[in-house]
Amino acid sequence: MARYLLQRLATGFVTLFGVALIVFLIMRVIPGDAAVMMTGAGSGVVTEAELQQVRQRLGIDRPLVVQFADWVGDIAALDFGTSLRTGSPVIEDIARRFPYTLQIIVLAMIIAVGVGVPAGVLSAWFAGTWVDRTLQTVTMIGLAAPSFWVGLLIILGLVYFFQWSAPLFWEPFWVSPIKSMSQLIWPAVAVGLRQLALIARMTRSIMREVLGEDYIRTARAKGLSERRVVFRHALWNGALPITTLIGFEIAALFGGLIVTETVFSVPGLGQYVVASILDRDYPAAQGIVLVLAGIVVLGNLTVDLLYGLLDPRTRLQGARA
Amino acid sequence: MSAKGNAKSSSMNRRAVLKAGGGLAAAAAMPPFSWAQSPKSGGTLLLSSGGDPPTFDMHQSATYLTEFVGSPCFSTLLRIDPNDIDKLVPDLAEKYEVSADGMAVTFHLRKNVEFHNGMPLTAEDVAFSLDRIRKPPKGIVSPRKGLLGNIKNVEAKDAHTVVVHLSAPQADFPFMVSNPFNVIVPKKVVEPLDASGQGMKRTMIGSGPFKLAQAVDGQIYELVRNDKYFGQKAYVEKIQMFPIRGEVERAAALQSGRIHGCFFFANESVLAGLRNNPKITALRRPTPTFINLIPNVTVKPFDDIRVRQALSLAIDRQAFIKTVGPLAGAFYHSYGLLTPGSPHNLDKAQMKQFAGYDTLPEVGGDIEANRKRAIELLKQAGVPKGFKLSLLARGDIPAFRDSSINLAAQFKLVGIDATVDIRDAGAFYTMETTGQFQCVAHSIAISGSLPDQILGEGYTSFGGRNYGNWKDDSIDMAFRAQSREADAAKRTQLIKDFQVKFLNTFYHINLAWVGYGAAHAKTLKGWNALNDLYANMQMDRVWLDV
Repeated sequence: MARYLLQRLATGFVTLFGVALIVFLIMRVIPGDAAVMMTGAGSGVVTEAELQQVRQRLGIDRPLVVQFADWVGDIAALDFGTSLRTGSPVIEDIARRFPYTLQIIVLAMIIAVGVGVPAGVLSAWFAGTWVDRTLQTVTMIGLAAPSFWVGLLIILGLVYFFQWSAPLFWEPFWVSPIKSMSQLIWPAVAVGLRQLALIARMTRSIMREVLGEDYIRTARAKGLSERRVVFRHALWNGALPITTLIGFEIAALFGGLIVTETVFSVPGLGQYVVASILDRDYPAAQGIVLVLAGIVVLGNLTVDLLYGLLDPRTRLQGARA
Repeated sequence: MSAKGNAKSSSMNRRAVLKAGGGLAAAAAMPPFSWAQSPKSGGTLLLSSGGDPPTFDMHQSATYLTEFVGSPCFSTLLRIDPNDIDKLVPDLAEKYEVSADGMAVTFHLRKNVEFHNGMPLTAEDVAFSLDRIRKPPKGIVSPRKGLLGNIKNVEAKDAHTVVVHLSAPQADFPFMVSNPFNVIVPKKVVEPLDASGQGMKRTMIGSGPFKLAQAVDGQIYELVRNDKYFGQKAYVEKIQMFPIRGEVERAAALQSGRIHGCFFFANESVLAGLRNNPKITALRRPTPTFINLIPNVTVKPFDDIRVRQALSLAIDRQAFIKTVGPLAGAFYHSYGLLTPGSPHNLDKAQMKQFAGYDTLPEVGGDIEANRKRAIELLKQAGVPKGFKLSLLARGDIPAFRDSSINLAAQFKLVGIDATVDIRDAGAFYTMETTGQFQCVAHSIAISGSLPDQILGEGYTSFGGRNYGNWKDDSIDMAFRAQSREADAAKRTQLIKDFQVKFLNTFYHINLAWVGYGAAHAKTLKGWNALNDLYANMQMDRVWLDV
């Protein structure tokens, strides 16, 4: 197990180095540099000589290899640099924004799992009936509706019917956890709807497959109640791919809340990614992409480890290998 | 407390300033603030703009996002009258005089002014600030150095007297120095910051009616009343500004009562929705922002005036205004290069002489005939049918993007195979400033509506908006001639001559003026939306009727 963990961590490290190199190069290859954006070069009288002075000050006129080596060295020392846009250390900016994104994801996944799994089970259990058809239609709509559109509908609907709109100042979690979580409900609903639909459909499909297995027939033949058959025997065994999906979706959501955060003006990581890239804020863009990549790597590792806990066969295969 | 008739000093309207340039001594006077109701003190004013200010350094900034946060915190020598855009009223300078030859302007500073950090404001700070704008130190960028380009030197005569020596008389100078971005900053604080290369990016120490209390990127910018302000204290205790990017989301926040006012509405349908709400005042004003099609004259075939004329002839301006305007900021039209309604503009009949401009509203041009002529001109210039033209466009701002899309469609009607190359701001500006384009439709925002500001920045070869890289000494000389003319009538004629000269070159093909929107709850009182919507953002006369 320890060897497996070390192997996976080493692979994760290589992946992160690759991500670092790619994001560094992409930020330098796309037209427009930090000096142009910082000086508003297109909006006024800024000469090339002035731009060059700014580039010198930022150190972005140096050879790419030197810049990359410097940055990697700093990252190794856990120094993500200072944002050119906000003037704050990148790690502080990320730390301040991280909880908002995490809260939305947690709430969205609670909604998605809490409603999606039972909906999928029901759909499979009553396959072919009106219950199944209704749930299938609803989940299809959930999958088809983009979260930003759902978000806008929520905003407009709440204003139209209740004269209510999302708060302007988002309370940090550590100041008031309940207020903070309650403020983020609507963004979570906008995001969670799609995840809910995805999980429900996945659960239905798996449950349909599992419910046709021989051991389920045996369980029924033993006289177990249908509820016990479905929840104890079928769902438990079908949980593995659902857990995988949930794990991947959580990891993907860390980088996928850009539009929802913009619609609701939530100061999370998604907005930070966009602003950093658009403003060619190299330290911030590189730092946040690396952090998000790290989250995905860790997320995948966690899912793989959970496999072992949920499925004894995986543990046995691991042991034999 | 009534704001009415509190002080008596002189005020200057634009025409008086023009006369003063001829040598009359001019003293400035206090603004006649007057509201129907007595203003109430207290409360927190909740506002929203379209995003975070990229910097707090007013001198280095070219965006209104910085102005929204900065204007309430800083002071200028003189300021635009909150009730009349054509008038200047005292700010840090209680009066000023123009020398008989128009070559020197003396500002007499108030004696009781302190910066937010407690340091007294002196003539040294004024001289430093004006020099920082016109000749920025190494590593500091000044987008408005051209506004003060006529300054020869600034002399701090004594602690409270500043003499600005000009290279040539300039009628518009008092207005140029009063631009809301040309704020006075504390030398002792800013000089070391400049030396370190940081400037005032995250430092906001001014002498304005409010001071910065907190700034959280993406969340909130909070200003509190400066109780040591030299002028009449602001009515509201606090201003909280929230960066809400989407127009629909800003409108929703206003409708639900979470904010009192918000700015930056380009889309007409959003503003129209707000107009239906009886508790909200939604308005639109022309801003000194115009949309020009700019051919790159260093690239063939745009060095040929016939091709540029053909492009102008291909455009149905009235259709452009009607189609793109509601999406990108309700376009207005002007008969000339200055703001709609400017007394210096040309008239409808004169506009007919410039190829394609007869399709402006009420001029009576025939677009079909124009397009036939365009095809003929392209043929004469040797431009083949199906010539590929790429219009560089900035994707995040409708005024750029939607204008380009509309123009591309119109160019196809004269046989040009036009496409739109949509880029993000960083790529767009880099390609534009380095000349990597054929044509660009640029929404040019000028921080002021005076002839020297619009013509100087927008239509001279040295003015900073010369993205097409043209060089024409006769245009530059015509600009300088009008700028130096003290006689108002003669100057108007020179301004008209300049426009005729420029419009005949087709270096820029003027399309429309932009009108941005603002909306506020009816409980927000005392904010007057001037014709330059953002000329009155200090918010000290604003109060809440709650």
